[in-house]
Amino acid sequence: MSRIIKKMSRRTLVQALIALPMLSFFRNQPAVVDPDEIVEVNGWILRRSDLA
Amino acid sequence: MIFDSYEAYKQAGFKPKACILGSGPAGTTIARKLGAAGIPVVVLEAGSREFSDESQDFYRGKTVGDFYFDLDITRLRFMGGSSNHWAGWCRVLDKQDFEPKTWAPDTGWPISRADIEPYLAEVHDILELPDFRPDVPVSDDIRWVQLIKSPAVRFADKFGDELDASKNIAVVLNTYATELAGDGKRVTGAKLWSNGQDAGTFSADYFITCTGGLENSRLLLWSNQRSNGGVVPNATALGRYWMEHPTFEGGNAILANYSEFEVDASNEAFFSPTLAAMERLQIMNFGIRLIETPYPNVKRLIADLACTAPSMAEWMSSKLDQNLRCAAQLYVAWEQAPLASNQIELSKTDVDHAGVPRIELHWKKSPLEHRTLLEGLKLFGTTMAAKNLGRVRIDDWISNGADYPTNEETAGHHHMGGTRMGTDVTKSVVDANCRVHGMDNLYVGGSSVFCTSGQCNPTTTITALACRLGDHLSKVIAV
Repeated sequence: MSRIIKKMSRRTLVQALIALPMLSFFRNQPAVVDPDEIVEVNGWILRRSDLA
Repeated sequence: MIFDSYEAYKQAGFKPKACILGSGPAGTTIARKLGAAGIPVVVLEAGSREFSDESQDFYRGKTVGDFYFDLDITRLRFMGGSSNHWAGWCRVLDKQDFEPKTWAPDTGWPISRADIEPYLAEVHDILELPDFRPDVPVSDDIRWVQLIKSPAVRFADKFGDELDASKNIAVVLNTYATELAGDGKRVTGAKLWSNGQDAGTFSADYFITCTGGLENSRLLLWSNQRSNGGVVPNATALGRYWMEHPTFEGGNAILANYSEFEVDASNEAFFSPTLAAMERLQIMNFGIRLIETPYPNVKRLIADLACTAPSMAEWMSSKLDQNLRCAAQLYVAWEQAPLASNQIELSKTDVDHAGVPRIELHWKKSPLEHRTLLEGLKLFGTTMAAKNLGRVRIDDWISNGADYPTNEETAGHHHMGGTRMGTDVTKSVVDANCRVHGMDNLYVGGSSVFCTSGQCNPTTTITALACRLGDHLSKVIAV
């Protein structure tokens, strides 16, 4: 690992470090919500979009 | 001809071929059919021309199981029978109601809807009905159905003069059969009670019991007991598979467009499931009554608010001296699964003034029915939301599986089963022509022959079946 890092230019390394926080966008991505999905809330039968 | 006592009738020397017990919708319809065919028929009516406490007292009884109406309140014992308090709501059982359901035992009739359809034109004349419009599919699961509220024909009022003028029909008031006697093949006679006393015996070639969805079973149970099985030779199912239409308020709805569904004069529209939905969810038929409350302006706002903030809406409503309720109310009536354990028995301890045991009705709603209620409302609510027609709220007691409330409608006063139609003599009492299994001359008219109840009010189907039975008897008796 350290050998790979030694071979990388300082510029590449800084760019990689700067891009690191972007990885969080690919984690815990919320499921795509269907606004027409039927849901029950407190006895009401609703569309999910009613809850927005 | 109408007579006020059996004594007066005897003096007239009328010679009937057939004797009909009861002058309600079934009895009157069959009598008119036989009379029109030139067959002399006598109709024995236990009550007089008017309501009386003395006559109603014969209907007292006891219910075991779920809460039910007093048995002397839920029916009427005078000329015209229970048509005298009928609300006039009309619809014929659906085609699917006659079909067996694999998920509900003991369903299915030996006849189909096509067997009664030829009589519907007559039924429309009798009940003063316009034509029904076809059902309108709202989704794959829900149909918008029509339930017509007719002028609530009182059979004695409408047909009294015709019966009085008829040369072929004799109506004998204040007179009824306390029991039929039979030899296992035929009814050989009837013991009569007229104007509060024993009136001797009576015989006719044919007997047709049309005394109502509770009393038919009582009469036949008592007669069979007295004749050692000679009146209903195959009595396993006698009194059993009794059904009602349980009816409860099920929730509320906010509608997107109040002109989407045409409502009747009471601001009501009706919805039922498709057969596919019933099959998929394995539930019984049901009818949802949507009662719109078409308030204008501020009243509409408060009524809509009552769905989500009932306390606030109640306070605002009281300030306007109004009783505004959530935008639309939903009532649900449903089909009971036929159960042998829901049955009419004869009381072992209590008899009426003529010495006939009173009814002990054993009636309990099944878990399948609660599921029908809950899943039915969910189906309707899902359809309304998916189609963006409105939003539905289901009452908490239904969602939570709590006990049925006892302060509501409870049921429809619809008494069905007890002498149900069928081919299996262990699970039915009459055949497809309403003839008691094994008996040559004993027939049953009325909703006691229903195998299943469907979800709609029974009088239209009762009248159609009576027209059919009248036609059948006209041919049988004329031979």
